[in-house]
Amino acid sequence: MLRLRDLSKRYGDVTALDNCSFDVPRGTLLGFLGPNGAGKTTAMRAVFGLVTPDTGTVTWDQEPIADETRMRFGYMPEQRGLYPRMRIRAQLSYFGQLHGMVRTDADEAATRWLDELGLGDRSNDRLEDLSHGNQQRVQLAAALVHEPELLVLDEPFSGLDPLGVQAMADILAARAAAGSAVVFSSHQLDLVEDLCESVVVIDRGRIVLSGPVVELRSRSPYRYLEIRLSDGIDGWPDQLDGVEVVSAHDDLVRLRVPADADPTALLAAARAAGTVREFAFAPPTLSQVFREAVRQ
Amino acid sequence: MSAARTIWLVARRELRERVASRAFQISTGLTILIVLGLLLAPILFGLDDPPEYTIGATAEVSDIAAFVVATSPTEGTTADVEPYGTSSDLRNAVLDGEVDIGVDDGTTVLTGPGTPPELTSLVSAAIGADRLQREADELGLDPRDVAALLGAAGADVVDVEPSGDTEERAVIAFVGTLLLFVSIVTYGQWILIGVVEEKTSRVVEVVLGAIRPRYLLAGKVAGIGLLGLAQLLLIAGLGVYVVRTADAFDLPEVGVGLVIIVIGWFLLGFAFFASGFAVAGSLVSRQEEAQNASFPLTMVMLVGYFTATSALTGGDNAVLRVLSIVPPFSPMTMPLRQAMGIALPWEVVVSVVLMLIAIVVMIRIGGRVYSGGLLKTGGKVKLREALHAANQ
Repeated sequence: MLRLRDLSKRYGDVTALDNCSFDVPRGTLLGFLGPNGAGKTTAMRAVFGLVTPDTGTVTWDQEPIADETRMRFGYMPEQRGLYPRMRIRAQLSYFGQLHGMVRTDADEAATRWLDELGLGDRSNDRLEDLSHGNQQRVQLAAALVHEPELLVLDEPFSGLDPLGVQAMADILAARAAAGSAVVFSSHQLDLVEDLCESVVVIDRGRIVLSGPVVELRSRSPYRYLEIRLSDGIDGWPDQLDGVEVVSAHDDLVRLRVPADADPTALLAAARAAGTVREFAFAPPTLSQVFREAVRQ
Repeated sequence: MSAARTIWLVARRELRERVASRAFQISTGLTILIVLGLLLAPILFGLDDPPEYTIGATAEVSDIAAFVVATSPTEGTTADVEPYGTSSDLRNAVLDGEVDIGVDDGTTVLTGPGTPPELTSLVSAAIGADRLQREADELGLDPRDVAALLGAAGADVVDVEPSGDTEERAVIAFVGTLLLFVSIVTYGQWILIGVVEEKTSRVVEVVLGAIRPRYLLAGKVAGIGLLGLAQLLLIAGLGVYVVRTADAFDLPEVGVGLVIIVIGWFLLGFAFFASGFAVAGSLVSRQEEAQNASFPLTMVMLVGYFTATSALTGGDNAVLRVLSIVPPFSPMTMPLRQAMGIALPWEVVVSVVLMLIAIVVMIRIGGRVYSGGLLKTGGKVKLREALHAANQ
C-alpha cells in the first residue's frame, strides 16, 4: 500500500502541499482530483523522490521508499516525453531494464506491449515518426512495461479521443484487477465516477474530501431533483421551502433540496402542479460533490 | 539493481544511439578522410620527393653536378648542368627560374628568388673544391696528397643534445594538445546537447522516476566518454598505420609514451568538463541558450590551450608552470609540458592528484545542480536556484 502522511511543501510563498495524507491500497484504482495548481503533480512527484517534501513521509508497505522499491513503480508524468529518435521497441526495452528487468525479459515485454497496443508492425519505427495518439500509447507502455506494483499517472486521459479514453480506462482497470495500486489525476469527473471506487480531492494543497464515491455522494447535505411536467413548470417550485432552483427550461426543472427532504412529498407537490413525465431524486454526481468541496 | 548496472545501462544507450545515428557516422567518416588526406597529401602531391637541381654555367666546372649529388644530405638527389653563352643570359635564366642556380666563369655563384639555400652551399663547396684541385695541380701536388689534406681539414661535429628530438617532441606535444582540446570540446558539446534534448523532450522526468539523477549523469559521461575515446583511438590508430605503411615520414620514437599521456589526460579532462557541460545543459530549457550556459567552461579550456601553445615558441614560463598544476587548466597544459620533457615528476604527480580531487568535487556539486535543474523548465535556471531545489 502506498501511504502519504502529512506531506507539506512550500515554494517560497506558495504552499503546494499542506499536510496532505492519503492511501492507495493494492488492487484499487484511486482518482486524484483537484483544480489546476492544487498540488496533484507535487504529491505525485514526491512519491518518486522528484520533490523532497519539507515535512511528512511517503511509504510503500510501511517502509520508506528505497531505490529498489521505486524501480517496481511506474510513472507517467503530465508532461509527456520519450526519446524522439529512439526506436520504440528498443525504447520500451530500455525503460524495462532501467526498472530492473533483465534484457531478454524486457525485450519480450516490449514486443508484447506493442502487439497489445496494435503497434507490433511498427516496433522498429522511431517515436517521432508515430502519430500523436500512438506516441501516447507508447508513453503508457513505458510506464507499464515492467508490470509495476504501483502505477502513478498524471492526467493520463488528457489529449485522448473517446476511443483512446476507453482503451486507457480498460488498461488501468486491468492493472488494478491484477493487484497493483493505481492512482491517477484527472479533470474528467464523469469518467472518474465510472472508473474509480474511491477518490481523493485536493484543494490548495489540502485534502478536502476522500473516500468511496458512493459514500461521498450520499454524505452530501443536498439531493438533486429533476422534474419534467407536461404543461410547463410555471413558477411552481418557488412555493416550496428549502428548495433551490438550479435551472429551469421550458418543461424541465432541476432543483437542489436538503438531503432529508421527503421525495414522496415533493412528488405529490409536483403532481398537484401538472402531469409528471419524469421524476428523478438522486444524490449529487461526483462533479457536483467536487464543486461543493473546492468552493469553500 | 546495482548502481554500476544502472550507470552501464545509461552509458550503453548513449553509445548505441550515437553509433546508430547518421550524423555520427558521417562526422567520423569525414574526420578520417581529413586526417588521411593531411597525412597522405605530401606523398600524393610529390612534396616529399628528393630534389632535382638544375645548375646553369658559362664555363666548364669539372664534375660540379657529381659533387652536388655526392654531398647532398638528401638521398636520391639529382643535378643537371645547363650551359649558357654569356653572363647576362645566365643572369636572366637564374632570375626567371629556368635554372635553380648559376655559376659564372667557374668562380661566381649567382642566386635568385627560387634558389634553395642548401643548394647555394653545395655549389659553393663544389667550386671551392674545384679551385683547390686546380691550384694543387699547378703546384704539381699528388692528387692523393691533396685528398688527404682536404680530409684532415674537416672538423668532427658532435651533437651534444642528448636525444636530439626536441623539435619532434614539440610538434607531437602540439598535436597532442590540439587533439585533447578539440576532442574534449566536441564530446563535451555532445553531452551538452544530449542533456538539453532530454530536458526539452521531457523524457527526463520518466527516467528520473526510475533512477537517481547522479546515475544518469555518470552514465551519460561514461557512455559518450567511451565513444569519444574509441573514435579518438580509431582515428589515431588509422593515422599511425597509414603513415607506417606509406612511409610518409619518420614516426618519432617518443610516440607511444605520448599517446599514453594524451589518453590519460583526455580521461581526466573529459570527466571534469563533461560533467560541467551536463550541469550547464541542465540549467537551460532550449538549445539556443545552451552555448551561453557552457561559455565559462569553454573559456577555461581556451585559456589553458593558449597558455600551452605559447610555450611552443617561448618555452616554459611561470604562468604555464602554475596552470599545469592547477585544475581544471592542467588537462590542457600539463600534457604539453610532459611531451616537451620540461615537467618535473613531482609536478606531474601533484597535478594529477589535484585534478582527481577536482573531478570528485565537480561530480558531487554537479550532480546536485543537475538534479535540481532538470525538472525546472520554461527559462534559464539560476545556479543557486538549482542547488537550492536539490537541497530541499
